Amino acid sequence: MRGNLLTIDLTHGTTGARTLDPQLFRDFVGGASLAAKLLYESLTPDLDPLSPDNPLLFLTGPLTGSSGPAVGRYVVCAKSPATRIWAESNCGGFFGPEIRFAGYDGILFTGRASSPVYVWIKNDKVELRDASHLWGGDSYETQARIKKEVTDSLARVACIGVGGERLIPFALILTDHGRVAGRTGMGAVMGSKNLKAIAVRGGSPVPVADPSFNQKRSRANLDLRHDNISQVLREMGSSGASDYFNYLGEMPVRYFSRSGFEGIDKVSGATMAETILSGVSACHACVIACGRKVIIPQGEYQRGESKGPEYETIVGFGPNLENSDLHAIAHLGQLCDSLGVDSISMSGTIGLAFTMYQEGVITTKDTDGLALKWGDVGVVEKLIRLAVRREGFGELLARGSRSLAKHFGVEEMAVQVNGLEVAYHDPRGATGMGLVYATSPRGACHNQSDYFMVEIGNSMSEIGVERVDRAASEGKALSVSRHQWWRTLNNSLVMCLFANVPFNTARELINAATGFDYTPEEFLQCGERGWALKRAINNRLGVTAKNDTLPRALLTPLSEGGAAGVAIDLPAMLKEYYEAQGWEAATGKPTRSTLERLGLKDVADDLWIHAPSS
Amino acid sequence: MPIPFPSDVWIKALQEVLNSDDEYGKIASTWEGDLMFVVEPEGARTRPIFMYMDLWHGKCRDARQVADVNEKKAAFLLAAPYSVFQRIVQGKLDPMQAMMTRQLKVTGSMVYMMRHVPTVLKFVKCTSKIDSGFTE
Repeated sequence: MRGNLLTIDLTHGTTGARTLDPQLFRDFVGGASLAAKLLYESLTPDLDPLSPDNPLLFLTGPLTGSSGPAVGRYVVCAKSPATRIWAESNCGGFFGPEIRFAGYDGILFTGRASSPVYVWIKNDKVELRDASHLWGGDSYETQARIKKEVTDSLARVACIGVGGERLIPFALILTDHGRVAGRTGMGAVMGSKNLKAIAVRGGSPVPVADPSFNQKRSRANLDLRHDNISQVLREMGSSGASDYFNYLGEMPVRYFSRSGFEGIDKVSGATMAETILSGVSACHACVIACGRKVIIPQGEYQRGESKGPEYETIVGFGPNLENSDLHAIAHLGQLCDSLGVDSISMSGTIGLAFTMYQEGVITTKDTDGLALKWGDVGVVEKLIRLAVRREGFGELLARGSRSLAKHFGVEEMAVQVNGLEVAYHDPRGATGMGLVYATSPRGACHNQSDYFMVEIGNSMSEIGVERVDRAASEGKALSVSRHQWWRTLNNSLVMCLFANVPFNTARELINAATGFDYTPEEFLQCGERGWALKRAINNRLGVTAKNDTLPRALLTPLSEGGAAGVAIDLPAMLKEYYEAQGWEAATGKPTRSTLERLGLKDVADDLWIHAPSS
Repeated sequence: MPIPFPSDVWIKALQEVLNSDDEYGKIASTWEGDLMFVVEPEGARTRPIFMYMDLWHGKCRDARQVADVNEKKAAFLLAAPYSVFQRIVQGKLDPMQAMMTRQLKVTGSMVYMMRHVPTVLKFVKCTSKIDSGFTE
């Protein structure tokens, strides 16, 4: 690590630097966990996420920018405008490594600029520039224009689209060839600060403590390159296993009401590979190259080469809306990226609107005259545009599914947890995901633990995560917990979850890069520490055990498909879970002894100030 | 009497099972591709063993042990140590799990493999119909 945090006060237009204590890296590794530590005090219950007081922190990990396996990522953290709790959203591409090449581990934004600006960072030179002329521009166009303005085609740009400018709570940040920090609305926080973009260019390599790092990372990359999962991702992208997920009943259909999509052959990653795929793209130094490039040669959605959809976008605008037109899915995904909104939350909210319409909760009187019929992709596009313009029915969509359902008095219909739309891995097909969604610190998220991969076979004996019965509810809470701690480490490194890097390989790499000497136990405990800290932040923000829940749809067994009849016994799972995590069941807070065991005495004192020692 | 795994007799027994299983025939009706199983050396087993199968539209057209991996150029090569194959055949290890945990190495079009997940799973299930003999 470098230990340098660039600070930018947008209100006063000033910049500065903060040195980070190496012990912080030892305890929290980097990325999202370190961000949680740095932001803990600032994230208060009365903090408006869209106010100048919400700090916005871009952080990398100690391996970011190295040639380690799949570590070209950064994370953005703040209080979420979508959920009003902890927010983190990480992103690949080349922007994160460039921050480190410029000499920093991260950038902390505070305040609000009086008019639109972008930041241009070239090594130690930091400049705030007017972005009025860029306001209203889409996310790809903005990148191109800024690169031209700073006369550096190799500058890396992270920016928002119109969605972020209009403060849509699920607005994204986009970099490079369509890599996004999509979830929890970090684009809206940028927009609230009048911050259109950050451009960065650096010139110094990332330091590593031990020269053996290079040998270790070469071996890890070689293993990763030949890994079966990498091969699936390279050939078919992240939707490579969509046929298998569909077979298992793990892929939701018609807004989580059905299973087993008949049109899967028309939209799967395999089909994309055989039809419209024109190339692949990779993030910094990645040997997997899961990114898709597609060309749609003819028809309504004809276009030249552009980004192809990944799994979540395919399911969100495909099976979720009963649409089997892959060209339309690619178009809608590209539209969301260009406008700057998260395709999971957007498609989830539209799925809810369709369901409400079909069940008679809303009519054309509510939808600006639009009939919402499953599979009608023309209407879907209109709804996206309405939402981003925040016009008419679009204003209700723009607030997300929890708000939309609440507006019409049917809050239980929204498939969300704590304000974040559920990702497209149905927990009835892999019940551990039910626990993951219910307890994730940022709402219903599959990147805090992709436990479905364990449930379909990707066990991790090194950390005691063995294969489990994917239909069973009981007996897997400790396994889920350990997997969450491991993925918390990934989000600290910041290492892509697609990279099937073994736990001890990651530990050896971090030890070589930093000079630390983590034992396996210490390393995993860093993950547990980060997990508990994020929970404590949310407890401060009002989260209790009552928030650890699932929407009605996911607690209702499916009648068909590979997960038919599976019922999630969430209360039983949670009982085991609180014990495994060392959290108090009544309040959902990590106990004082748990926090103290993890070296978080200050947090324990804060969280349990009025409670006796447990 | 158990049929020893891996062997020419065993792979021919599997051929018979596949060709007499109507459900397999239906599920695998669109499968077109041959497989080469590579049972890698492990412990006292110092030489690899190769078994070849030609699968076509729900039937097995050819199955035999071969002397060399290059004797037949198969569309898919499935390689693993003896103990891994043993656990898969005994139903103790899910083939998808074996694939994802890198215990079973796959060479060939993953696109094709993913398009035919039910075929793959049914194929492996058919191996449990053989009274297989294993040496520890």
